[in-house]
Amino acid sequence: MALVAETTRTRAIGSLGLGWLFGPLAILFVAFLSVPLIALAWRGIESGDLSEQMTSAFVLDALRLSAITSTFTLLIAIIAGTPLAYLLARRDFPGKFIVEVLVDLPLVLPPTVAGVALLVAFGRRGVVGEYFDDAGLNIAFTTTAVILAQLFVSAPFYIRTAKAGFQSVTPEYEGVASTLGASPLRAFWRITLPLAWPSLVAGAILCWARALSELGATLIFAGNFQGETQTMPLAIISAFESGKSIDVSIALSLILLAAAAVMLLLLRVVTRTAPVRM
Amino acid sequence: MLSIDFDLRVGDFDLQPTFESGDELVVLFGPSGCGKSLTLQAIAGLRTPDSGRIVLPGERIAFDAEARVNMAPQARGVGYVVQNLALFPHMTARQNIEFGLAHLPKARRSERTLALVDLLSLQGLEGRRPAQLSGGQQQRVALARALAAEPSLLLLDEPFSALDASLRGVLRRELASLQKRLGVTVVFVTHDLAEAYSLADRIVVYDAGRVLQQGSRADVLSRPTSRRVAELTEVRNIIPGQVDAYVEGVAAIRTPWFTARIRDPKAPIRGDVSICIRPEHILLVREGRESSHANDAVVAAEIIEDVPMGNTHRLYMRVEQPESREPLLLEVDVPAHPYDVIGVATKSHWNIALTSERCSLVSN
Repeated sequence: MALVAETTRTRAIGSLGLGWLFGPLAILFVAFLSVPLIALAWRGIESGDLSEQMTSAFVLDALRLSAITSTFTLLIAIIAGTPLAYLLARRDFPGKFIVEVLVDLPLVLPPTVAGVALLVAFGRRGVVGEYFDDAGLNIAFTTTAVILAQLFVSAPFYIRTAKAGFQSVTPEYEGVASTLGASPLRAFWRITLPLAWPSLVAGAILCWARALSELGATLIFAGNFQGETQTMPLAIISAFESGKSIDVSIALSLILLAAAAVMLLLLRVVTRTAPVRM
Repeated sequence: MLSIDFDLRVGDFDLQPTFESGDELVVLFGPSGCGKSLTLQAIAGLRTPDSGRIVLPGERIAFDAEARVNMAPQARGVGYVVQNLALFPHMTARQNIEFGLAHLPKARRSERTLALVDLLSLQGLEGRRPAQLSGGQQQRVALARALAAEPSLLLLDEPFSALDASLRGVLRRELASLQKRLGVTVVFVTHDLAEAYSLADRIVVYDAGRVLQQGSRADVLSRPTSRRVAELTEVRNIIPGQVDAYVEGVAAIRTPWFTARIRDPKAPIRGDVSICIRPEHILLVREGRESSHANDAVVAAEIIEDVPMGNTHRLYMRVEQPESREPLLLEVDVPAHPYDVIGVATKSHWNIALTSERCSLVSN
């Protein structure tokens, strides 16, 4: 008993001391994070009716394009990324280290570099793009290019999170499932997938958020054409540079901010309501 | 008939088990890390041996390196309860049990599940997740799940190790009666001798990836064939000696402390041997009486420590002979009732009898 009381007291004193020391700095930083967001919301309210901006062709085109491209990106990331994530979590194979580096690289690479690399590969004069061009297939500066750029920079978020999710499910479950007559695919579908589900959803949300905010790679590899490659982040820049009213940028920013908020909320809900806590 | 004979190498470890079993409860007994669990994984098909054969009950060849046969785990029809049970945490008890019944139509599935719930006394717990079940209940669900598809072979890897002693006893008895009722071959892994003793029809003693001895429970426990088996099965008293004579199945063994006459069909005829005798087979001889059997070796000994162990007393006794350099230390178990009746606590010098027919010989 004495021991418990003592440790509690020491901890209380310790945290109190650090509270005084760290508190002000922490408050300052929280203020720094919140002020711009409050300002954005405030300007939105202040300029009154933003509906004119929100429904302009310029904004609607960007909105539609962002929605379509980011959804396609997410779907491809899930379909192609899930098997890769599973293999990385479960199997050892030659060159695994290289694959892991390749998957992680886009996370630390500046998106503009990704854009240049994509252009050099798939552009009309690109290493691979040359052959596509001969076949009458043009990728660069099309909506397809937007999706490829988003996929390149955002899929790693899904793959990494999904891999961690699969790793958290002990392979013993699959072994036991197989002795109960389940094929490997059924064991995956009924056991591994549901248990890794929260991580998969979290990874999907992170991936989608990153795709939605993609700018650098898209700008270089896909260009900035309204209705074709001009997603919302690109539209914000264009509105700025072309001297349009700042209200247009604010309207677009508010939409993206709202989307981000919804996604964060979703992430919280999903990770909290995991089917099982292990 | 289950027939195991294979070689499986994992890193530096070389597992080469060889044993057979009919429709009985066979216990794989041995120290931790001797390859018992690995053997189960290989039988279940989760590990592939490098060579050899695994034949499941019903003459079904699950693995044969030479004939290039390697049945997939899902085709083997083997129930397997792993050490930590691995109940699927996102499924209810009922869903766990039904997992192995996917091949049945829905009505048959419910019928079978109901029967298993009944068999293992899980009524009222069907809707609970594993985390909402007690250790013993989880254990029963795991057993029900493994039994669901009516396997011809049930593999159990230390399934009761996480439970408290009283519950372990209950589940052991249930398992033994379940095995008799279902007539299924059960391979049970444990490093706990008491568990092995209370469950086994047949014991397979493992050490360092090899089978040292196998046979009926009584045979293995009272007739170890090697010094290592005697040590592993906690014989406690392993007394070095020499064979003096061997006449008509009875060996005369001379030790520095006494001479014993032992009838042992497997007796080595000559040379250095050790007498193995369990603490419960050494008896205190009451004053003025003689040992009941002429063959029993009787020696004078002194109690140097008396440790109460619940319903028995373990006596640490010293045998001294003027001509031998060091004393012999023996462990003797005396049940609580005779302990009181003959008044063991009242004096420290006793004659003790080494029950001849309970002695066995191993070569040194």
